[in-house]
Amino acid sequence: MQATSEGMSLNSDVPQMLHMDLDIKDFCSDWAHCDLMSGYLARMVSHNRLDSLLFSNLYSSALNELLETVFRVHGEDGKLECAVRRQGNHDRIELTFPADQPTFETYRQAIEKVQASDAEALYLEALFTEDEPDAGLGLLELGVDYGARLTIDRLENGRMCLVAELALEDETE
Amino acid sequence: MIADSISQGFQWNFNENDQEFSLHGSLRPQRSEEMNSCISALENSVSGVSGRFYVNVRRLVRMNNVAFHAFAGKILDLVRGRSDLKVHVTTSSVVGWATRKFAVLETMSENITVGEYDNEFYPGQTFLEEGGFIPILRTQTKLTWRHERAILQRHGLEPGLQVADICCGIGDFAVLLQKEFQPDRLVALDHSRSSLDYARKVATDFGIRGIDYVFGDASEMLLESDQFDFVTCRHSLQVFDRPELILQELLRICKPGGRIYITNEKNSHCLGEPRSESIQRTYNEVARLWAHFNMDIELGPKSRRYLIDAGLEDIQMESFMVTNLDGDPQDFADIIQSWEDVYAGKMAVERGDSEEQIREFRQGFQDHIFAAKHPRGYAGWPIWVASGRKPK
Repeated sequence: MQATSEGMSLNSDVPQMLHMDLDIKDFCSDWAHCDLMSGYLARMVSHNRLDSLLFSNLYSSALNELLETVFRVHGEDGKLECAVRRQGNHDRIELTFPADQPTFETYRQAIEKVQASDAEALYLEALFTEDEPDAGLGLLELGVDYGARLTIDRLENGRMCLVAELALEDETE
Repeated sequence: MIADSISQGFQWNFNENDQEFSLHGSLRPQRSEEMNSCISALENSVSGVSGRFYVNVRRLVRMNNVAFHAFAGKILDLVRGRSDLKVHVTTSSVVGWATRKFAVLETMSENITVGEYDNEFYPGQTFLEEGGFIPILRTQTKLTWRHERAILQRHGLEPGLQVADICCGIGDFAVLLQKEFQPDRLVALDHSRSSLDYARKVATDFGIRGIDYVFGDASEMLLESDQFDFVTCRHSLQVFDRPELILQELLRICKPGGRIYITNEKNSHCLGEPRSESIQRTYNEVARLWAHFNMDIELGPKSRRYLIDAGLEDIQMESFMVTNLDGDPQDFADIIQSWEDVYAGKMAVERGDSEEQIREFRQGFQDHIFAAKHPRGYAGWPIWVASGRKPK
């Protein structure tokens, strides 16, 4: 696992706070990695917020849902990279991971639901379905409940980037 | 900064007397089957109750959608299967995601309600938050700081420590701590959003940096264990109906070898000359009035017992008297006037006192002010300080 601090991304004007990466197979070797990574990163980025405890708790919840989604839906080989950025009250989480075309398509459909006009109804439907919850439920929750702006990018070498932009601190006030 | 001991694993329990099913800890399972034993316990608990069933998730720090889907889905099944059953879910505003996540249950059934546990935390909090009490709190701190500045050093506070000020109120004491003792880290926690808003504004206005003001419940803090060298909790055990719960938490967040510092009052020992009898009568009544609202404004001298019972060692205790001679007597008079406004003007009214009783009650405060401003008078407000060391 590698961590860097400070600096700007080559493709983002939002300052980067932390970057972590690990092999997707290592990440997916244990479900607890989602909880550990989200908890660790939430701690690291919450110290100078308006309310560090509230922020850390919310940030961890949001990031955990993203990581759990990637845990369930991802491609075969390569690294999972997690970059977290911040500008003012605006937080940006970027997860880059291996994704074949069907994987990317799954995310595309999930994002479509988040952006749909009846996203809230879709969220409730997914939340209370009799079946196992859909892998995209976490993304729907982020869009509907956290007001997150979610986007995906197709990258070279069979990879994709899932981006969540959040304004959590406004919600705590 | 969520406490690891809280976030590791989860537990549940059912209190039959209260018909309350509580979930604690962190719930982020991979598969819904991991929730089976919890769901069975929930079903068993509900089967034995009638009327309203309470679900308490105040101490549920984390919950993913797998867990929510299983747990909330079961609650919904249960109310749909039994027309006599109503469910109330109690969340905590300290856990940011909880209320809005569980609130969706209300949209799914009219027999489910969701509410935050907040308002009844401090019995007297609403009295103190209403009606311009903030300037008086600042004056109180100004007068007590004249004494505590030196007392704090005797109780072990020195620069460079990790310090927590629990129940920080409007945060002015934390600002003074920051200026005088330059702690390495200073966390100031309170359960009043309006007080914290004020505290942050003051810190910003005064250019004070480095104080981490956080919203939290002092009896169930989300701060990690064993991390502070010096934990202060001033004038707060006396306004809480279960002070031992707060002390347990102060002990938990304090490092082994660190110290817990508390201050409390014994209002019936407020004094003044002239007109001492009237003053004494009113402050005896203050003690009864607070007791009516499950608060103990007489707690000060009991501090030693509380600290010993909490398991602390090397207890140090002393008292000091804020008086009309501490600077401008008008400051002292302003404090007493604010007490009259809150105690006689609000609390006694809410208790149902008659006009005559309230008139007599008010008189003692006015006589205390008279003594404070009298050129040859003396008026005092005693405060007890106690600290103890957490065993290593």
